[in-house]
Amino acid sequence: MVTKEEIMKIAILSKLFVADDEIDGLTEDMGKIIAFADTINNAADEGTDFDHINHLSNVLREDVVVPSLDREKILANAKDSDEGCFLVKNIMK
Amino acid sequence: MSESKIAGLHRMLENKEISCQELTQAYLDAMERDNGSLNAYVTATPESALETAAAVDEKLARGESIGLLEGIPMTLKDNISTDGIRTTCCSKILENYVPIYDATVWKLLRQQNAVLLGKTNMDEFAMGSSCENSCFGGAKNPHNVNHVAGGSSGGVASAVGGHLAVYGLGSDTGGSIRQPASFCGIVGMKPTYGAVSRYGLIAYASSFDQIGPITTNVEDAAIVFDAISAYDEMDSTSQGRQGEPVCRTLKNDIKGMKLGIAREYLDGVRDDVRQAVEQAAEVYRSLGAEIVFFDLPALKYALPVYYILACAEASSNLGRYDGIRYGYKAESYSDVNDMIKKTRSTGFGEEVKKRILLGTYVLSSGYYDAYYKKAQKLRGTLVSAFSDAFRSCDVILAPTVPMTAFENGHAVSDPVETYLTDICTVPVNITGLPGISVPCGYDAKGMPIGMQIIGNSFEEAKILNAAWQYENAARIYKPSDFGVKL
Repeated sequence: MVTKEEIMKIAILSKLFVADDEIDGLTEDMGKIIAFADTINNAADEGTDFDHINHLSNVLREDVVVPSLDREKILANAKDSDEGCFLVKNIMK
Repeated sequence: MSESKIAGLHRMLENKEISCQELTQAYLDAMERDNGSLNAYVTATPESALETAAAVDEKLARGESIGLLEGIPMTLKDNISTDGIRTTCCSKILENYVPIYDATVWKLLRQQNAVLLGKTNMDEFAMGSSCENSCFGGAKNPHNVNHVAGGSSGGVASAVGGHLAVYGLGSDTGGSIRQPASFCGIVGMKPTYGAVSRYGLIAYASSFDQIGPITTNVEDAAIVFDAISAYDEMDSTSQGRQGEPVCRTLKNDIKGMKLGIAREYLDGVRDDVRQAVEQAAEVYRSLGAEIVFFDLPALKYALPVYYILACAEASSNLGRYDGIRYGYKAESYSDVNDMIKKTRSTGFGEEVKKRILLGTYVLSSGYYDAYYKKAQKLRGTLVSAFSDAFRSCDVILAPTVPMTAFENGHAVSDPVETYLTDICTVPVNITGLPGISVPCGYDAKGMPIGMQIIGNSFEEAKILNAAWQYENAARIYKPSDFGVKL
């Protein structure tokens, strides 16, 4: 059974706020979903090792510099930027 | 106009029976008239559409030949990046986001002068089965606007089924192309994982996501698939189409083809849907194909495996939305952490937050082995089970959805019940296989029923061939009353 405390902890890890009036409904919904997910733990099947669909392996190439995206264009989508950089509130005092 | 298929419209353009600008304008006028009812488009691009159309007309005036998709009006789901055109994923968190590069699929089509009419509605971040999780409100079903178009590519299906575009591209992570195509009475194909580049598709669950065509008929799906299935160095999982263009074998005889029906696919499916699929099997028999029944017990794991793995990948993929580099940013906050939390909590809708939380839960310390690792192993079991099945049949026949389109606002409130509607579509995404949905009947209310043809890896040619033969023999498709009059 999933508890409110667990949901609050997961919310912190997910960088989400859960409002007081949402927590009960969310805990109930998550409880149902996780109970459903839990059905796989009753599976008699141990499973089969899975690497990747189509068994792909890494494709290597020479490390050659190619044109990339334009800095001004990238920054145009940011709400705040300054001197060619993304702007955030200071992290260290 | 008496033609709505790509090849027919192409001939009309070449024979100068209609100009590309007239054709495009007809679709723009229909959008103006009908989008209020269908809510299929969230962004219209009339200026660039008419500009491309004018370029195609100039080519034709100079006597130059044009490609099959050149000048054909189409649409893209709003999670496919379009340079300079707003791409929102129908989420508040990306409401004003304008990509600065094209998705590879759009680059390929743009180079062929495809006429983009606009971007279409979807469940937020492709999470949902009704299109009602869109921040713009849901797209409506062109067969009855009191019903949903399905999801998550509901806008594309509504636009194509409502004749507000000749074809469109959607994305399919757990059924998001096939399910709305089924609900709207049209064709939708999810290609093999890796056949179509995912570069520029805004990620939901990267090991499941695949772009594919939504069309009114099987031939158009084959034409569009041939155009977009190319190896792309920008997608590390890209392999491209394996083999010759699928259009070449589309109309081949299917005598002796073995179609498998897994009994588990028919469990819990509504009676009228099951009967429609059984009738389709009869049509196949009359075409000389063989129907073989088999058991696929691993199917019972498919739905929990899908939701565990897809949400785990989503929780990681959606970590990038922090308000710093693009998208919505909270107005007032105390520090960076507070800003990120407020941005995400306000910017994401309820379903998206729920899936991020579930994904974070199954990946968190103490739960990883029981959920994520176990689900990954059962994914391996499902891959082997399907691989075994294809030793005794060429393709698998199944319902696309256990029911038909539900009424607006009636998506079940219980979260698990809602997820159960995806039971027939998710196995294909878990295993990376190709699947196509084609219309196979109508329920008592006149809402379309769809069936699914599933193939082995990179065998799109086989499922399209089987789909075309059925479509041609059964003649189920009925155009809706909306859009450009045919």
